Amino acid sequence: MFENTKCDCGHQNPVGTTLCESCGKPLLEHTGEAALEMRYDGMARRSQKANPNPIDRIWRFFSSVKIAVYLIVITLLGSMLGTIYPQESTFINLDPSIYYETEYGLSGKLYYMLGLSHTYESWWFITLLMMIGTSLVICSLDRVLPLYRALSKQQIRKHHHFILRQKVSYEGPLPESHADRPAAWVEEAKAALRRKGYRVHLDGDGTALLAEKHRFSRWGPYINHIGLIIFLLAVLMRSIPGWHMDQYLAFPEGIPVKVPETPYYLVNEKFTVDYYQEDELVGSNKGKIVPKIYETKAVLYTCKANCDDPNLDPEFQEVHRQDIIVNKPLIYKSFMAYQFDYEETPLLRAVHVTLKDKIAGTDLGGFDLSMTRPKSSYNAGTYILELKGYFPDFGLDDRGQPITNSKDPNAPAFIFVIKGPGLAEAGEPYMYFPREIDKERFRQDQINGAIAGKLELGVNSMEDVQISAYTSYLNIRMDKAMAYIWVGAAISMIGLIMGFYWQHRRIWLRVDAGTLALGAHTNKNWFGLRRECADVLAKSGLTVDPKSLEKADEKKTDRQSAKFKGGPES
Amino acid sequence: MSDILESISAYSGTYLLIGFLLYCISFLLFVIAITGKKWSGSEPEAHGRRWGKIAFTVAIIGFAGHLLFFFTRWYAAGHIPTSNMYEFMTFLAMMIIFAFIIVYLLYRVLAIGAFALPVGIIILAYASVFPKDIQPLIPALQSYWLKIHVTTAAAGEAFFAVGFAGGLMYLLRTIDYRSKDKAARKERRWAEFTLYVILIIVAFVTTIFSFNAAGYKAVFEKQVTVTGKSGQEQQVTQQELYVLPPIVAPYDTDMKEMTPFLGIMKEPLFGAPSWLKGASAGRKLNTVIWSVLAGSILYGLLRLLCRKPLGEAASPLLAGMDPEDLDEIAYRAIAIGYPIFTLGALIFAMIWAHEAWGRFWGWDPKEVWALITWLFYAAYLHLRLSRGWQGKKSSWLAVVGFLVVMFTLVGVNLVIAGLHSYAGV
Repeated sequence: MFENTKCDCGHQNPVGTTLCESCGKPLLEHTGEAALEMRYDGMARRSQKANPNPIDRIWRFFSSVKIAVYLIVITLLGSMLGTIYPQESTFINLDPSIYYETEYGLSGKLYYMLGLSHTYESWWFITLLMMIGTSLVICSLDRVLPLYRALSKQQIRKHHHFILRQKVSYEGPLPESHADRPAAWVEEAKAALRRKGYRVHLDGDGTALLAEKHRFSRWGPYINHIGLIIFLLAVLMRSIPGWHMDQYLAFPEGIPVKVPETPYYLVNEKFTVDYYQEDELVGSNKGKIVPKIYETKAVLYTCKANCDDPNLDPEFQEVHRQDIIVNKPLIYKSFMAYQFDYEETPLLRAVHVTLKDKIAGTDLGGFDLSMTRPKSSYNAGTYILELKGYFPDFGLDDRGQPITNSKDPNAPAFIFVIKGPGLAEAGEPYMYFPREIDKERFRQDQINGAIAGKLELGVNSMEDVQISAYTSYLNIRMDKAMAYIWVGAAISMIGLIMGFYWQHRRIWLRVDAGTLALGAHTNKNWFGLRRECADVLAKSGLTVDPKSLEKADEKKTDRQSAKFKGGPES
Repeated sequence: MSDILESISAYSGTYLLIGFLLYCISFLLFVIAITGKKWSGSEPEAHGRRWGKIAFTVAIIGFAGHLLFFFTRWYAAGHIPTSNMYEFMTFLAMMIIFAFIIVYLLYRVLAIGAFALPVGIIILAYASVFPKDIQPLIPALQSYWLKIHVTTAAAGEAFFAVGFAGGLMYLLRTIDYRSKDKAARKERRWAEFTLYVILIIVAFVTTIFSFNAAGYKAVFEKQVTVTGKSGQEQQVTQQELYVLPPIVAPYDTDMKEMTPFLGIMKEPLFGAPSWLKGASAGRKLNTVIWSVLAGSILYGLLRLLCRKPLGEAASPLLAGMDPEDLDEIAYRAIAIGYPIFTLGALIFAMIWAHEAWGRFWGWDPKEVWALITWLFYAAYLHLRLSRGWQGKKSSWLAVVGFLVVMFTLVGVNLVIAGLHSYAGV
């Protein structure tokens, strides 16, 4: 369809323009005095191109605010679904295929089967976020460029239709005193507007004026969108391998634990917990044990040598030392360790064992025995103890065979072969339970038989025993995208403040043959704009009620219908 | 000095009560300022100005009392009082009054007082249902980001509350109570429903108060098996305390104690269905049933009293107001609140989550609902600014938006438990 886009003033406008780029005259001649649609100052946008090719169609799709709102609403509804039952990610070590059904019955099973138990990691949710991102980019580009062009080349003397069809407008004779001196009147209005913080431009003969303030607020939404795009990109970057890590590990006191996927070992040197005193608790908390503060004295090491050999002690090099409490994580480069939880776990860590001659009652020698990294042989005086088996959490299976129930030294048991004076050439087996309670429970002396009468392994005092009283659970994280996340959030916030706490206001004035025409436009807060216009008019002797400046309500419907004629989509 | 502070702090609760009463008086004064224009004989404009000034001053004094409560409680607790439901809700109410003051100063429209103040009053009354004890802070809450996050988020939400009041005002002003056509009838029904929901909340607070004052109590017991962290199983007796007469008993429990209600109801009318077995689900259902019952009675009584829809009865308060101004007030309040809400409920929340848990976002139900609120108002703004949704549509969105806010604040704790569950209902 051929469309004549040349304005009466001689300016050639691109297809899709609704208000002449130069003089502002409405180009689509729908009659009436309804307030003009001033969005993007009536500029044509790329999305309004005639005869669109496939790329234009995609562009048009994503540039639509209607589509953007649909995307927002669908995301909003999708997010709601994810809050019905707890998400899988809230659990550590849990089989979701069983959990949801046992906990919530049929609806839980359906929830799991529909994939809603991981809503926020699902393909459709991530697709929605990406579509919102695309929409943000295209919507912004489609609008900010025409808007920038329109605002950077504004004509001062606008067409009468343009001025009088603004939502706020006024037409009337100049006051008596200035009836024949229009330029002087405009000069006074300029001064009044200046005092209100407007930047005022006069045209050549001084009878038309454009006053403008806070134009920067128009860029607020776009700056906000840029921030959101950076934010979304940063979120996506977290799926790049090595950018993001999140694991929960247990750190018993004093035992170095290798942190998977990192070069580090972390040692919980000491864990302390303080509880609220009885008198600090009131109401429903009375009589309960409420922790006040808990702290892990953590040291981060790298391993220099002997890292993987179980028989040799690894050589550690300290790289960082810090106390961790809730809200105060350990941070070393991009490595972060957060206090997550703790548990009272009285575990044996190491004992200093003494070999005793049971008959003579003398000590034969001693050695340090670790519960986490026992060596393959030990010397005690002239005796040699070879470790043949180690069960950190000793138990017996159905057939009575010794097994270990876990890797944690809950009930450690050692099987040694002892060689030395007075014993068989090949050595004699000796089973050792460091914990007194296990020794009796599993009847150590009976298992050991004859040798139990001659020799005994044991500790002399509590000083020979090292215990880790607490296990501290730390959440180990790495997130290299954080900086971008914060930058995005900050930019977005700046944009929001710019856009919402200031308004772009423009006032056009022209005087023709003693008649004044005033039009004013703002993107929000018409109340304030009306008052400013009325104030300025009052200063020059024209008293008007601010309310009367605004176009009456019923005309708005006309404006709505005009909009739909105006373009495919705005 | 500290002695003086000590003795001032001892009356912390009294200041709040004074504030509450002054808000109520101020509300009545605003109503007089509007409706009295006709009967006072004096010039209507002057009457409105004079009574409006008095009403606003009373609101300001009430706000001062509220502030005094806040700071004395802060002093007494040693931490900012925003850490449990009671403290948070009183703070939210304080912020709503603050938002009202700002918007009133911008527009000087008397009707705002008649509509925004009640929202603050109801929230404040609602706060008083929760236990008032000062509680010690668990380690996760010991961060200054807590103060910043909670206070900023509440400030943003408070402006949404004023936006809600503005939207409701617009609707009551523009709904045609004479027209017989279908659209108008539908609108009236929904406006009436909104007022009904508000009355349910009022009824909820009133019933809880009445039964508390009467010392009502019923206790149910249940044996549960709890698995400890290290895997051992334990039998624990769980108790459920009812302060309202149990229409519904919790699922699968034994009644331990129950004060007969009205001498007739000696045992629960029925038990909760098996799928309602979550923590306190039975008790919550019971509370909901009571609130709806009492709310319906309250609505019925008011309806009898007015002999017309409540919306129609309230609309004279808005007679003579320009609907477009009301629309703008609602929009302006939301536009002021939106950046504050973004900062407080999302960005500061992310910073705190990052500090405390090492992830800035964890898809915790409360976080998700804050995001839902944010998306909802984002849709509102886009529809309004780019799609020309003004007036009615926009006002309905402002009304629904605040319901979303309230669900995020209360509903999530009531229905869904998550990390924020220590805020406790």
